[in-house]
Amino acid sequence: MTTRRFLLAAAAVLTALLLQDTALTQLPLPGAAPDLLLVLVVAYALVEGPLSGMTTGFVAGLLADSLADHALGRLALAYAVVGYATGFIEDDTDRSTLLPFVAVAAGAVGAVLLFAGVGMLLGDPRVTLHAVGRSLASSVPYSVVLTPFVVPVLGALVRRIEPDPIRR
Amino acid sequence: MLVLTAFTLTAVDYRSSGDSSAFDAVRRGSDTLFGPAQRAVGGAVNGIGDALDGITRVGRDGDKDDKLQAEIDRLRTQLLETDGLRRQLAEQQSLLQMKDTGGYTLTAARVISVGSSLGFEWTATIDLGTRDGITEGATVVNGKGLVGRVKRVGPYTSVVVLLVDSEVTVGVRLIRSGQLGLVTGQGQTGLTYQLIGERARAEIGDAMYTSGSTFKAGIPVGRVTSTSNNPNSPTLTGTLEPFVDVTALDLVAVVLDGPRRTPRSAVIPTPLPSPSPRPSPSPSPSPR
Repeated sequence: MTTRRFLLAAAAVLTALLLQDTALTQLPLPGAAPDLLLVLVVAYALVEGPLSGMTTGFVAGLLADSLADHALGRLALAYAVVGYATGFIEDDTDRSTLLPFVAVAAGAVGAVLLFAGVGMLLGDPRVTLHAVGRSLASSVPYSVVLTPFVVPVLGALVRRIEPDPIRR
Repeated sequence: MLVLTAFTLTAVDYRSSGDSSAFDAVRRGSDTLFGPAQRAVGGAVNGIGDALDGITRVGRDGDKDDKLQAEIDRLRTQLLETDGLRRQLAEQQSLLQMKDTGGYTLTAARVISVGSSLGFEWTATIDLGTRDGITEGATVVNGKGLVGRVKRVGPYTSVVVLLVDSEVTVGVRLIRSGQLGLVTGQGQTGLTYQLIGERARAEIGDAMYTSGSTFKAGIPVGRVTSTSNNPNSPTLTGTLEPFVDVTALDLVAVVLDGPRRTPRSAVIPTPLPSPSPRPSPSPSPSPR
């Protein structure tokens, strides 16, 4: 772990955060908007392992929480758990082209369910079965579509800074 | 560790919501830091969208008619710009119309970002904050009708909860018959309404406007798209299509001050000049 890697992560998260709400949510697509932050978290987890995935997820989620209109920490929790879990998917990423897509899809399902689950515990009126279904039906395919644009690019950037990233 | 922290944060923030939360400072900090950045990126993204078409064409020039092609591309780009300006002008004009006919005091604002949090909530960030005199709870409109309500005010930006968010419930009145009802957001798919009273009736295409409780009165909300006839239910329910398209929000206005009284037929001239290409919510005399 170097300062440069930390800077790269910070820059990636901030860029994704800004692009997310200013550009992606304004696309005229049905259902939830594509979630760039989620794909980024999974991409980090795949390249650097569970701990990095979790930290990135927590920070990205907390920042997104602070700009949104729900209790702080809900997205942070969802993204942190998703980052941790997808980090265990082994390094076969380089060989299998399908694996990142599966990881992102699983991550999207997990994030929606966690976010909705905590919302349900808190009695959030926005979380209904219908809303969860709609969110799943849209965020999973959108995230998968974003995958080929995010995962390889991030992997290449990380390897450029550190040719053999240590997975933690 | 982080999971526990996230849980704790959520719990503490949830418990303290309502009063001045300890995390208000965090939110204000984010609003202050990200607000200007969002403003910049939001503006740039809009501009890029308008100019993108022109640029891609410029890149594909052939080798023979370079000059002519370049000229055509330049003109096309100009045409796109004109179209964009024309749209903005139309939005401004319809806002002015609403201001004049309804007697509202409006401050124009631009939507710089729309948040959806995995599709569960629909908020928009506008480029006005406490420095522009925006207060929490203010009604937000555009030329077509109701957009939402200001939920949180930062120094440079404010967060607006959009009409389609399931947290939002609007007290409405049916324009044709004057019946009272409630409209609830259903996420991006639209709105549902409940008309109170056993003899409530609504027909497809009927328009509704705010009755003036949490929102300022007399603002067009939407048009009835379906009604369900359940004879056992004491209320009439159905779906409503909002006049405002939340995926295409650009110019909006914050209502600083509504008319002294609920606008009646005397205040709004009949017929109301159509604020949108949709069937205009022409007001009928309020029931006596």
